[in-house]
Amino acid sequence: MLSNMGNPYRMEELDSPIDDLEKYVNKLHPSLVMINPLLIPKLVTLPRDPESDFNPVYVGLIANTTSTRIKSKFDSLLYLNDNKHELFKTMEKVIQQLGATQPESDNTTLSERELSILKLVATGNTNNEIAERLFISTHTVMTHRKNITRKLGIKTVSGLTVYAILNQHINMEEVQGSEQGFN
Amino acid sequence: MKMAEVIHLNHHLLPVLNRFDIHLGFGERSVEMVCKDHDLNLDFFLEIVNTFHDASYFPLGHLQSFKASMLIDYLQKTHAYYLQFKIPEIGQFIRQITRDESLQAIHKKLLLDFFDSYQHELTTHINKEEQRVYPYVLKLESILDNPDATVEELHEIGKYSINEYEEDHDDVEAKLFDLKNIIIKYLPSSKNIRLLNVILHDVFELERDLNNHGHIEDLILVPIVENMEKTLRERLNKLLSNA
Repeated sequence: MLSNMGNPYRMEELDSPIDDLEKYVNKLHPSLVMINPLLIPKLVTLPRDPESDFNPVYVGLIANTTSTRIKSKFDSLLYLNDNKHELFKTMEKVIQQLGATQPESDNTTLSERELSILKLVATGNTNNEIAERLFISTHTVMTHRKNITRKLGIKTVSGLTVYAILNQHINMEEVQGSEQGFN
Repeated sequence: MKMAEVIHLNHHLLPVLNRFDIHLGFGERSVEMVCKDHDLNLDFFLEIVNTFHDASYFPLGHLQSFKASMLIDYLQKTHAYYLQFKIPEIGQFIRQITRDESLQAIHKKLLLDFFDSYQHELTTHINKEEQRVYPYVLKLESILDNPDATVEELHEIGKYSINEYEEDHDDVEAKLFDLKNIIIKYLPSSKNIRLLNVILHDVFELERDLNNHGHIEDLILVPIVENMEKTLRERLNKLLSNA
């Protein structure tokens, strides 16, 4: 069905019974997880991490007999007795939802704020130090850092330092003067 | 399937074959025959080749039949390949680039320092596995293989768990990822385009190999060890209840 809809995808099938769904989700970072709740008798919660960018969309494969309590755990439901047209309609909505969770990729220039945070990161300041210095919460610093990484395609502090020097946002002396050094 | 066809299908598998001490010149010999020649477990060979060939391949079968020592032997050979061959090779190319007159001194230093710090991190990570994780797994296996193992021995090894060692390869991976983007996107272009291509090609290849290495650890080694730990607990409980 997914291939009929023309979306590129990669699929893993897990054998039931699934003891440790969370482990699989953390390892594989799927964007979409389809589950027949009948096969997981002890299904209590679906693993979701509020801190992570990688939460999957959970789709339940639902029989008429499935309880509302189980149904409410899923983001979307496919009814086993739905016809093909209805199934497609549901999946289209799910795929739209997936698209909405993807970060926008067109915006790649750093904002003023991001630039000042980049400089502080690159010269060896921790998130807490940056938060104090700019009078913002550590959480906000982390959000900015995520956006910086997404825009530049650079994940590590030392990578950001190299970027900042190459683009003359900071100079070599500032880095060597900081405690962090180059690692 | 003939071994030669496997290489035609995916030549990236060459270093993997080398780790099994399989060398070129297969003639018309099949995969099965080559494995037999080298005294290799065919299922094991196929699982490794499949995880390498297709990153989404999820090994679920056969696992119980593999010895952890077999796996560790393979993983150690991949470590040796990184440290003795691949990393020095990339390092050599990077030093070659830094002799390029068209690059500014500061840019050369940045590239070289960044690569050195990556090399340092990777080496530290590998040493930790070689000195702490693998010896634990091998010892666990040898104790379980010994039907006369004492309660003390079982108890002593039972104090450890693979999950304590299980740490993500995130940092090492992230640095390599950054190295690619620094070269692709941010390093001012040098006259030596050909050499930069070779470096990038090597880095992509190393990344793919490292991802596979991590995949094998997470999806094959860890489940095998978890299973051994379960057996250990069962044996210990049985011995203690009999005592």
